[in-house]
Amino acid sequence: MTTPTAERDEPAASAPLISVRDLTVSYHVARTGATLTAVEGVNLDVHEGEFVTVLGPSGCGKTTVMNVVAGLVAPTSGEVLVDGRPVTGPGPDRAVVFQDYALLPWRTVFDNVKFGLEMQKHLKGDGWRDRVQEAIELVGLSGFENSYPKELSGGMQQRVGLARAIVAEPRILLMDEPLGAVDALTREVMRDEIEKLIAATGKTVLFITHSIEEAILLGDRIVVFKSHPGAIKEVIETKLARPRSERSVQSDPRFLELRDHLWDALQAEATEAAVAGGS
Amino acid sequence: MTATVSIETLNAPPPRRRRTGPGKWTWLLLAVIAGILLVWEAAVSWLHLVPAAFLPPPTAVLASFLELLVDPEFWQAFAFSMQNLLIGLVLAVVVGVAVGLAVGWSPVLRFTVAPFLWLLYSTPKVALAPLFILVLGLGNESKIALVFLLAVFPIILNTMEGAVTVPASLVNASRVYGVNGLALGWKVILPATLPYSLAGIQRGAALGFTGEVLGEFLGGTGGLGHMLEFAAYQFQMDEAIAMVIVMVIIANLTLTLISVLRKRLAPWYDDRQIMGRS
Ligand SMILES: Nc1ncnc2c1ncn2[C@@H]1O[C@H](COP(=O)(O)OP(=O)(O)OP(=O)(O)O)[C@@H](O)[C@H]1O
Ligand SMILES: [Mg+2]
Repeated sequence: MTTPTAERDEPAASAPLISVRDLTVSYHVARTGATLTAVEGVNLDVHEGEFVTVLGPSGCGKTTVMNVVAGLVAPTSGEVLVDGRPVTGPGPDRAVVFQDYALLPWRTVFDNVKFGLEMQKHLKGDGWRDRVQEAIELVGLSGFENSYPKELSGGMQQRVGLARAIVAEPRILLMDEPLGAVDALTREVMRDEIEKLIAATGKTVLFITHSIEEAILLGDRIVVFKSHPGAIKEVIETKLARPRSERSVQSDPRFLELRDHLWDALQAEATEAAVAGGS
Repeated sequence: MTATVSIETLNAPPPRRRRTGPGKWTWLLLAVIAGILLVWEAAVSWLHLVPAAFLPPPTAVLASFLELLVDPEFWQAFAFSMQNLLIGLVLAVVVGVAVGLAVGWSPVLRFTVAPFLWLLYSTPKVALAPLFILVLGLGNESKIALVFLLAVFPIILNTMEGAVTVPASLVNASRVYGVNGLALGWKVILPATLPYSLAGIQRGAALGFTGEVLGEFLGGTGGLGHMLEFAAYQFQMDEAIAMVIVMVIIANLTLTLISVLRKRLAPWYDDRQIMGRS
């Protein structure tokens, strides 16, 4: 391995902000009466200010783990601690960017983003308007404030979901493939924006993606999942200097090494999954 | 938002509904109607195939129709019917939406109450009309009750179905941003269900009108149904047919009004998704 270059400060000694402990989640499928174990024995600590990206084949339980951290799904066994306390439900310290956007179709873009602040009662006066507007600008949707979700493309809707999470100013951002439907160019711009935003605000991020490049470019650490049953296969520290632009990093041997490694790991997983699924 | 107005005019969102087609079909429909009227007039007035006393020609019906429009008795009957219809419908909407939301949202109620609702929905409630008149009398009450009874079930069942189909992801998103309990109902469940409720209200209004007229027909002291019955009894077929036309117009105006309301209240909803739903 090459020597690590300048790293972001890592509060390694302090207690983790998110602590996933021996987490197992089984879904009961009412239709068939069967029980499906989505993830088994997941352990993961995420420290304050850390950016953790999650890679893994489809259906390996990434969203499930994120939902437990968000407080939307209860663990079957094990637990998740946030700031030392067990998660019992959603809270204002965590915001989620949903894989399927989950926008309110009867609200305009502006009002959908506002939904992120809706219940923050301390927001008196008109200050929140600026915050909403800022978030909309950040995701590049100025001019579409009064559009309804169905009038937007998938990528644009996804960015509304992103703005809604950002505007809530949570300590922890849980992002489930937030750039999955965004086109390549916008994706690059958005990735830079996310990186800058996170660097400026010191948020803690759990970021699910299907893109190996994205996982490397954004993550301080990369968590690789495997399936059958869903579990963590390995956790890799990226050890790449920031800011990491796509260009500068392309020629970095560490980047290439990571990319090849992740590629092989996922390839093996996908093959295994296909074999297991086919039997 | 003031700053965004100018931008919005530049990036005006595309028009929500394209206006193609209907023009052509409207003309075709009018042509067909005109053709039918012409054949009818010819058969009765010129060829004397049918005695005019049984089937008055369109011109006679039109004359009766115009007479009705200046007849204060007609407008009194109109007011009577519309008042009952409105009261019955408002009650049906309030009860129907509330019950529909509760049953749709609560799994317990869904499994215990919903089967009975379907049972009642498929019962021919028209058969109960004489009973209502017997119990509630010839006045307004029996009509309002009939309107309510006929209108409330489609509203309940549509609302229920809407509430059941609220996407889980919307509820999850709401929980993440702290929208729970009553706020969840008000801000998410109700608007998500609204297009379904409105479809139910539309059907309920049509059925409710039937209930009103039927009630008046069977035993009444006023209203359009009563007038129709009276005209038929006196063998004034031209007036009777004119009355039927009035009723068709009222029913269609009501449906159109609710359609417009649906587009105003739920502009985000694509009509095609709930077409054919009853
Ligand atoms: N609500 C649910 N009920 C039953 N099974 C579920 C439910 N949600 C997820 N599962 C199952 O759990 C497993 C993991 O699902 P999950 O959504 O966490 O995968 P994922 O890693 O996010 O996949 P993708 O990359 O495709 O989004 C899958 O096999 C899925 O079928
Ligand atoms: Mg997922």
